[in-house]
Amino acid sequence: MNRSNHLTGVSLAVLAALGLAQTAMADQTTTVQGIHDKTPSLVAFQNATIVLEPGKQLTNATLVIENGKVRALNRNNEAPAGARLVDASGHTIYPGFIDAYASYGVPAPEERSSGGFRSSPPIYSNEREGGNAGNAAIHSERDWIDSFKPDASAAKDFISHGFTAVQTARLDGIFQGQAATVSLADKLPNDVVYNPKARHFGSFDKGSSQQQYPSSLMGSIALVRQTLADANWYEEAYGKQAVTGPVEYNAALAELTDIENTGMVFAIDDELSLLRANEVLSDFSVPRVFIGSGFEYARLDAVKNTGSKLILPLDFPAAPEVGSVDGHLDVQLSNLRHWERAPGNAAALASAGVDFAFTLAQLEKKEDFWPNLRKAVAHGLDKDKALAALTTVPAQISGVDNKAGRLAQGYMADFVIANGDLFNDGEIVSVWLQGEEVELQPMHPADFAGSYSLNVANQDVELELKPGKNLQGTLSVADAESKLHHASHNEDTVEFVVDATIADLAGSWRMKLRQVSEDSLSGMAVAPDGRELMITATRTEAVTAESKEPARADSYISKLTYPNVAYGRTELPARQNVHIKNATVWTADEEGTLENADILIRNGEFVEVGSGLSTPSGYTVIDAEGKHVTPGIIDEHSHIAISQGVNEGSEAIVAEVHIGDVVNPDDIHIYRSLAGGTTMAQLLHGSANPAGGKGQVIKLRWGADADLMKFDAAPATIKFALGENVKQSNWGSDYVVRYPQSRLGVETILRDGFQAALEYGRQLDDYNDLSRSERQRTAAPRPDYRLESMLEILRSERFVHAHSYVQSEILMLLKLAEEFDFTLTTFTHILEGYKVATEMAKHGAGASTFADWWGFKFEVYDAIPYNACLMAKKGVLTSINSDSNDLQRRLNTEAAKSVRYCGMSEEEAIKMITLNPAKQLKVDQYVGSIKPGKQADFVIWNDHPLSAYARAEQTWINARKYFDREEDLAMRAALDTEKQALIQKVLNAGESARDGATNGYKQQQPTWHCEDQHDVWLDQFTAHTHGGQH
Amino acid sequence: MKSIVTLAAATLVSGAVLAHDMVPGEPQKQPILIKDATVHTITQGVLSDTDLVFTDGRITAIGTDLTTPDNARVIDATGKHVYPGLVALDTTLGLVEIGAVRASDDQEEVGAIHPEVSGHIAYNPDSEVTPTIRFNGITHAQIVPQGDLIMGQSSLLQTDGWTWEDAQEKLNVGVHVNWPRASVIDTWWERRSPAEQRKANAEALKLLERAITDAKAYYDGKQAGTLRGKDIRWEAMTGLFDGSKKLFVHADDKRQMEQALELRREYGFDMVLVGARDSWRMADKLAAEGVPVVFGAPYGLPARNDEAYDQAFTTPATLAAAGVEFAIAYPGFWDIRNLAFAAGNAVAYGLDKDQALAAITYNAAKILGVEESIGSLEVGKKASLIISEGDVMDHLGQDIVHMFIDGSEVDLNNRHRQLYNKYQQKPE
Repeated sequence: MNRSNHLTGVSLAVLAALGLAQTAMADQTTTVQGIHDKTPSLVAFQNATIVLEPGKQLTNATLVIENGKVRALNRNNEAPAGARLVDASGHTIYPGFIDAYASYGVPAPEERSSGGFRSSPPIYSNEREGGNAGNAAIHSERDWIDSFKPDASAAKDFISHGFTAVQTARLDGIFQGQAATVSLADKLPNDVVYNPKARHFGSFDKGSSQQQYPSSLMGSIALVRQTLADANWYEEAYGKQAVTGPVEYNAALAELTDIENTGMVFAIDDELSLLRANEVLSDFSVPRVFIGSGFEYARLDAVKNTGSKLILPLDFPAAPEVGSVDGHLDVQLSNLRHWERAPGNAAALASAGVDFAFTLAQLEKKEDFWPNLRKAVAHGLDKDKALAALTTVPAQISGVDNKAGRLAQGYMADFVIANGDLFNDGEIVSVWLQGEEVELQPMHPADFAGSYSLNVANQDVELELKPGKNLQGTLSVADAESKLHHASHNEDTVEFVVDATIADLAGSWRMKLRQVSEDSLSGMAVAPDGRELMITATRTEAVTAESKEPARADSYISKLTYPNVAYGRTELPARQNVHIKNATVWTADEEGTLENADILIRNGEFVEVGSGLSTPSGYTVIDAEGKHVTPGIIDEHSHIAISQGVNEGSEAIVAEVHIGDVVNPDDIHIYRSLAGGTTMAQLLHGSANPAGGKGQVIKLRWGADADLMKFDAAPATIKFALGENVKQSNWGSDYVVRYPQSRLGVETILRDGFQAALEYGRQLDDYNDLSRSERQRTAAPRPDYRLESMLEILRSERFVHAHSYVQSEILMLLKLAEEFDFTLTTFTHILEGYKVATEMAKHGAGASTFADWWGFKFEVYDAIPYNACLMAKKGVLTSINSDSNDLQRRLNTEAAKSVRYCGMSEEEAIKMITLNPAKQLKVDQYVGSIKPGKQADFVIWNDHPLSAYARAEQTWINARKYFDREEDLAMRAALDTEKQALIQKVLNAGESARDGATNGYKQQQPTWHCEDQHDVWLDQFTAHTHGGQH
Repeated sequence: MKSIVTLAAATLVSGAVLAHDMVPGEPQKQPILIKDATVHTITQGVLSDTDLVFTDGRITAIGTDLTTPDNARVIDATGKHVYPGLVALDTTLGLVEIGAVRASDDQEEVGAIHPEVSGHIAYNPDSEVTPTIRFNGITHAQIVPQGDLIMGQSSLLQTDGWTWEDAQEKLNVGVHVNWPRASVIDTWWERRSPAEQRKANAEALKLLERAITDAKAYYDGKQAGTLRGKDIRWEAMTGLFDGSKKLFVHADDKRQMEQALELRREYGFDMVLVGARDSWRMADKLAAEGVPVVFGAPYGLPARNDEAYDQAFTTPATLAAAGVEFAIAYPGFWDIRNLAFAAGNAVAYGLDKDQALAAITYNAAKILGVEESIGSLEVGKKASLIISEGDVMDHLGQDIVHMFIDGSEVDLNNRHRQLYNKYQQKPE
């Protein structure tokens, strides 16, 4: 037998424990205790297949290492004199793998305190020490190299999968600090550092921070934006005088001043947040790498367009449970689709040309790493790309591509020896870190499989040993075959018991055989009567296990749609030129309502409304006889299509946060609202603070990405809120410290906010007026996005939509606006608007109200369903809003309630959900009525649009048909067929369907309301009750 | 279509009023003849140009060109519609005044099992909410205690009366069970694994089964005369076993409803399914077993992401087509005033208008066992009816001009009209 002459894993461990193995490398600055270690480190690996880097390999070549580095790669397979020789025949040597996203050898974050939502008093500030940041989720001053300590037991998880180096930081918070790239070798920390200042790590998750801000995804995004702006400012300002004195020392900002060179590795939850992070980081020219979510294939083009590298966890979801007869009731089509396609994510990214690395991070069971990687290959991932994802790409991301990630002269002797192609079924036999081996299995294990002629007491019997890790076999005497039991083996010996009759002795025979040459074994048997006999065996036939390519698995049953959920689209609807004939047309404009009318639509716009129009060639004709056409419905107040939190409910003024940062184009309520005739909605921040976040007007372009949904022509808006929600009336007894706690304070906090904004504006102006020399001494005002938003309001560049109920607060805000010389655009909800309608009209404020809600809290006790009529009558521009994913589907009949309760004219009622909200959003030159020149957003109804019996049949946006009831009916059948086929596929996959992550799917977002106070990062939330709070 | 002016004139009569002066209607003193109306009898079809007479609180005649009884008040209803009063099932009317004000909320008792509580006990007949829902045609409401498991007993009350006693139509109609969850969800507030959820679901179901077993043992012990005392919880449930009370099962998921049907087979309960979002998945079965449904999500969002956008809207039509006996409810308190519109929405999605009307009148009465008295317009029945200018289920038609309960005329004024009237008088 050909034994390799390496140190075994056991002996290596012993040496390490004695401290001997370290001394060779550790005598640079550390004094040597005892004898100086001069053990030679020159090793040559001969006869190997050497993979130098993806796509480049040498066969039958020799790798020479010395002093922890690669000394040579000899194509001629020659070894230098004096080298310890390792026969690597039959083996493949890969560059050591690098995990660019790890938390290794750094202290763990503090446990966040558990406890229910609002079970303890809120914390609004951060403990200050050493110039740290004002927010407890910012740790950018931390250099993780400073507290890095090798951790042999943690390293084992990495090494056993072939990793030799990691980029490491504590994975906690939004700015997590600067990572270091280190070898996983068990040495002095000083010796394993490859790059002490690697990338900064980050995420949107505030992690262990107990500070209230940020409590939402949009808050996190705003904090990232403000912090990066602060860093830019600090770089210029530090050492200068600010208005309030010298610019403070801020270690967190100081560390970020070089971020545009260092770059960030940024963790996100899904592909939508990847795009969000990309936007904010690219605004500040921060080089960026994203931790993949596994969903990138679902928005592949958008992900590709970021131009960013990714780091992909290999955590594929276990199949949804569909085994029971009703199991499918709990299973969404989107999850079945993701189960099928998740292993193909890497292949999809590779074919799109996106560079990515693999990471062990986030993998529920680390031992799934290689099986899952092979699954990715089976799903079409090119093996060279797979190897690049373990070597060259992470080396580049970790800033060590000049010393690791390849096998080349002068590179670190970090490599993996495998007994075959790792991407098929090869196994790692050893991992070498800085020239030292960690053995995982014998390099040349004895291979016992085969047929033997076994001689026992001069009788020849037949012994069969099967291939495989566990020894199995049979012994045949004449025609009697017995299975071996109690069988075991090690590198060169097999041992077993067999019940047989040999040499006329029946009973249990114990036998032990040791390999003495390739095909012969010798040893001893203990007969049933206790006699010991010498035995020998000669192999007559060898058996080798077959190596096979994994079966391809890259054909899919599931559709890939945008979004990739039920009712998603494979492509956006085409723009059409349309001739609608013979309809009752509610123009919601000067033309009024026209019977038997025609509409011509060209290039996305209405061009003519009339009767008996002739059809230009190439136009789609819709015969709408008996049907009604209205403008698309516009909702001034919506909370659909928002990811991870509708409220940044932490601080009283959060004017910097922006719903536009968290638009969720995957929300099924977009489609459902289209089906109710709604084409445009203002997505508003919740009502937890006097000055809430910025709003976002979208068109309900189901199937588009978030950017395409945004209606950019809409002027900027912001949500304000007054009353019970902002004074925290219903937040429990711990929430009594934030200013304001009464309507008295709501006025003053807003007044103070506006005052601060005015002064901020003045400081900016003053600074701009300074001479060059004065600027050298004077710090620029810190860019303050919060005050900037407030200032935009005062400059009438941003328009306020104020959640309000009672008359005193309405009057208060009118007066405050007048005092600060701006017009309050729209009061939203405004249930007591009827009491001060004259005052509102005089000011020029609009009102967007509920049709008939009341009774759900004290401040709505005087709400009446006549509110819209009374306000409209007094000249207030009035609309009806939903604030609800349910009502947003049926605003037509909500408007009809003003006809029912107080006799509003039908045309006025229609305007309350079309032209009037368009005016309130200041987009009425584009949408809101059927008028030549306006965008062709419209709805075709089967009946009078204000009737309970009306049903939207088609909904069009910019002359594209986004909803068609007929198509919907057909789609239902197709979705059901697809779902059944996927359920069959799961069932056919049998037990293997259970493999994988148990949490591998997107969690369903809740239905957001104004008042929902989830701290999305601390997993805290308010339960929602029927009837709603608004 | 009415105008603001006419309505303003109508309310001027009660102008400058304070809240709370809606006086319960007097007992009927004289016969009333409604002339030349479109009469929606529910059980006898829609009769146009028809007269209806009621005396001493009961309908005495329906027909064309009826003779005016002596001393009768005549209401000319030309062009108007007469309907039975609407019956709102599964409400908490009068148990809560303001949702977020705890002191005004008497909907739910502590603990999981409280069959002994009765909905009418805390009913506030002077709630400001009640007159507002009468305005939309609701003459009767089922008051249902809330809770986690066995919630209590409901009572059917008239929406006009001095006390709950005065307002009672039928007390303690049945026992309400909020069926334990049977599904596994992946919403982000659910932190338990599917296995943990299934375990919790099974435990909750066991708790319910145990309570029913105990109640049955109590019932059996009572029959045998072996009880050692009165247990007011199980006492409240004895009617379930002798058939005098109904078991209202609040369940939306198919699996919950199937579990409930199992229970019904085991004990022979007179059972009603309430909520029943998934009833469309088992409509034939429900029809075959003769289990009535109070469908509680007429404006519901789809229960699951993969369901059609209009699933809840079309469910009443599906139930009707399968022959299921069903009513439509719009659970809540202030918002139940939308009940008739919700039924109209089911019409938009395939339900016949007649069936929709029956679902908020006769069928609702039948499910509560009072169809002999109310829910349809027939001679001999109580004169609980409404007169509307137009189609009561359509926003463009509904305009209730008269309401009678047991022949007493009900004041349709309410806090909302009072405030409306008040603020029309605010100077410019």
